[in-house]
Amino acid sequence: MEEEREGAEEQQGLFYRQRLKAAVHYTVGCLCEEVASDQEVQLSKQTIAAISEVTFRQCESFAKDLEMFARHAKRSTINTEDVKLLARRSNSLLKYITEKSEEITRTNAERKTKKKKKSEDENKDSLEPAEAGRGGNEN
Amino acid sequence: MADSDLSDNEPTTRTLLRHVLDTEAPRTPRRRQSTRAGVQRAQPESPFSMRLRSQTKTTPRRQSHRARSIGRLAPHIQTKGQLKEQTPRTLLENILLTAPESSMVMPESVVKPVPAPQMVQLSSRESSPGSPDLQLPELNPPTAMAPSLLTSGKRKKRLRLSEFQQGMDQGLPLSQEPVTEPPANTGASSLTSSLNLTFATPLLPQSVQRPGLSRRPPPRRAVDVDIFLQDLQDTSVATALPGDRTPVATLPTDTVLEDTQPFSQPLIGRSPSVHHSLPHPSLSAERTVSRRTRSSGPGLQNNSPEKPAQLLAGKAEKVDALAMGFPNTSNGTSAEDELKPLLDRDGEEVEEIMEESMSLDEVKEAAGAQASARAEEPEAHMEVTEAEGAWGAIEAKEPERSSRDKDAEGRTARPELASSAPDIPQARQLEFLEPAPSTSTAGLSAEPLSARLPTRVRTAGPRLRQDPYKMGLSHYAKLFSFYAKMPMEKKALEMVEKCLDKYFQRLCDDLDVFAAHAGRKTVRLEDLELLMRRQGLVTDRVSLHVLVEQHLPLEYRQLLIPCAFSGNTVFPAQ
Repeated sequence: MEEEREGAEEQQGLFYRQRLKAAVHYTVGCLCEEVASDQEVQLSKQTIAAISEVTFRQCESFAKDLEMFARHAKRSTINTEDVKLLARRSNSLLKYITEKSEEITRTNAERKTKKKKKSEDENKDSLEPAEAGRGGNEN
Repeated sequence: MADSDLSDNEPTTRTLLRHVLDTEAPRTPRRRQSTRAGVQRAQPESPFSMRLRSQTKTTPRRQSHRARSIGRLAPHIQTKGQLKEQTPRTLLENILLTAPESSMVMPESVVKPVPAPQMVQLSSRESSPGSPDLQLPELNPPTAMAPSLLTSGKRKKRLRLSEFQQGMDQGLPLSQEPVTEPPANTGASSLTSSLNLTFATPLLPQSVQRPGLSRRPPPRRAVDVDIFLQDLQDTSVATALPGDRTPVATLPTDTVLEDTQPFSQPLIGRSPSVHHSLPHPSLSAERTVSRRTRSSGPGLQNNSPEKPAQLLAGKAEKVDALAMGFPNTSNGTSAEDELKPLLDRDGEEVEEIMEESMSLDEVKEAAGAQASARAEEPEAHMEVTEAEGAWGAIEAKEPERSSRDKDAEGRTARPELASSAPDIPQARQLEFLEPAPSTSTAGLSAEPLSARLPTRVRTAGPRLRQDPYKMGLSHYAKLFSFYAKMPMEKKALEMVEKCLDKYFQRLCDDLDVFAAHAGRKTVRLEDLELLMRRQGLVTDRVSLHVLVEQHLPLEYRQLLIPCAFSGNTVFPAQ
């Protein structure tokens, strides 16, 4: 029973994996077609397959590293810091990621401030009638 | 066969037996019949029977000296009357008849002594000094000896033996009794030619000149340089090396040559040190060698025993030259070749020693500028040693060795030398044949030695002032070229160095980043483990501890991997 379960799980995992690989392959293929049309170069299917395989494995490695970094920082959630640490090797990538992360934080911050204001206003409005009501009641 | 040995030389027993047979009337009428039985019995029990016969024979004898001498041999063994019947005379006769006329002495030694009247020699041999006890142990040698001696003419051998004996008598410090029985000797000599029995007394040629030294430790005399120098001039050839020393040549030169250095210096002017250093060098040298094997200096252990012997025998000047040249050669790691001739010098002419010392000087010069610095020091040391005594000699040797070691490896040898220096003087002062166990430092020697050490540092060859970082890189580049198993261009090596530089930089940056990522300022073990995991060295299967166990020496492993110790403690603390 357990073995069957494990086998089923493995199969499911493998199946899942294959689906992921297929998805990656599809995405890589699309990107390569764009690049080929831009550079006016043709890419063979084996090339695309190779690129997709490399991408998949690199993603696995990234995931493991991110998990390691998060654990190293004694966290259980992967953070943007971990991602930045991961991308430090390539300067351009690091720059891009930092920019993006800053943008994200900014938007998050803006959203937060907006939310705060809204909630404050709402609170004030709700509070005032309440207080008025209370005051009226008391009076 | 420890039979009767009045003289440490060959067939004293034989001569005695012959004498007995000749002079004493046969007692047993059954001698003839028992001859056969005696013959059969003689061979198996010859060693023991010899003693018995001689004893039984001599006890009733009137020849007091012989009886005394033989009696001393086996005082505890009482004459056994039962064996007397046929045995005493018959056995003796058989033995004399069958024993080969051979001298246990080495052929060279036999040839060496000056020819002398046979009678005198024989008698002197027989009368042999009143030290049979001392000679006994020496005469316990293996029976198999000098088969070549047998081949030579018996008469000749006899002469040589007598010559040898005479030479020994001359060299012997002991006073020997005058000839007492010329007729007996002549009678005995007539029979010797037919003897085939070999009395094993494997005395080496060196002992010819100085039998006293070979047989027993030299008397503990007070330091007397004049007497010593006189003796040096008197004695002709290098001798006095005990038998175990002579096979020095067979010893590996490395270990053998190691410690002669400390003693070559003192030999220049040290009479007591020479005497005492005879057995000491090997012992103390071994200790120092063991200590200094790490320093990987050329082995001089062998030379130390040789040196004293040679100096004893050689002239004072040559000794000086040798001592001068020797420490210098010992300095060079390539001194082994030069030291080898030194090894073979046992018993050789002193001129050869001179030649070798000259070659040693050349080698010393070839060693380089460092040799000059060393030469200065030996000279200075010599002066100081003269003033200080045996201590100084050791110190002189120590600094020289230290210089050599330093050249070879750096300063690591000096602490060892400082510790070993006091040991050697201690060894000198201890018993002749006893190893010097004491390691207590002598203040006298320690101070001058320590005083010299700083000077040594200054005179040491200048170290290359290199950037340690670059040195490390060059080291790795060399490793790279080694493992490449192919000749490499300089440019390629430079590129390798550049790559290594960037690689290590990146590693260090990663460590910093990891530490910062964890909100720390100091790099810790976790950061390194993370780095290794990223490198792929540490995996789910292979942990860091496994790698530590595999690659690091035990000392580091103890520091890294927590281990439980006694007292309910864990180190390193987690």
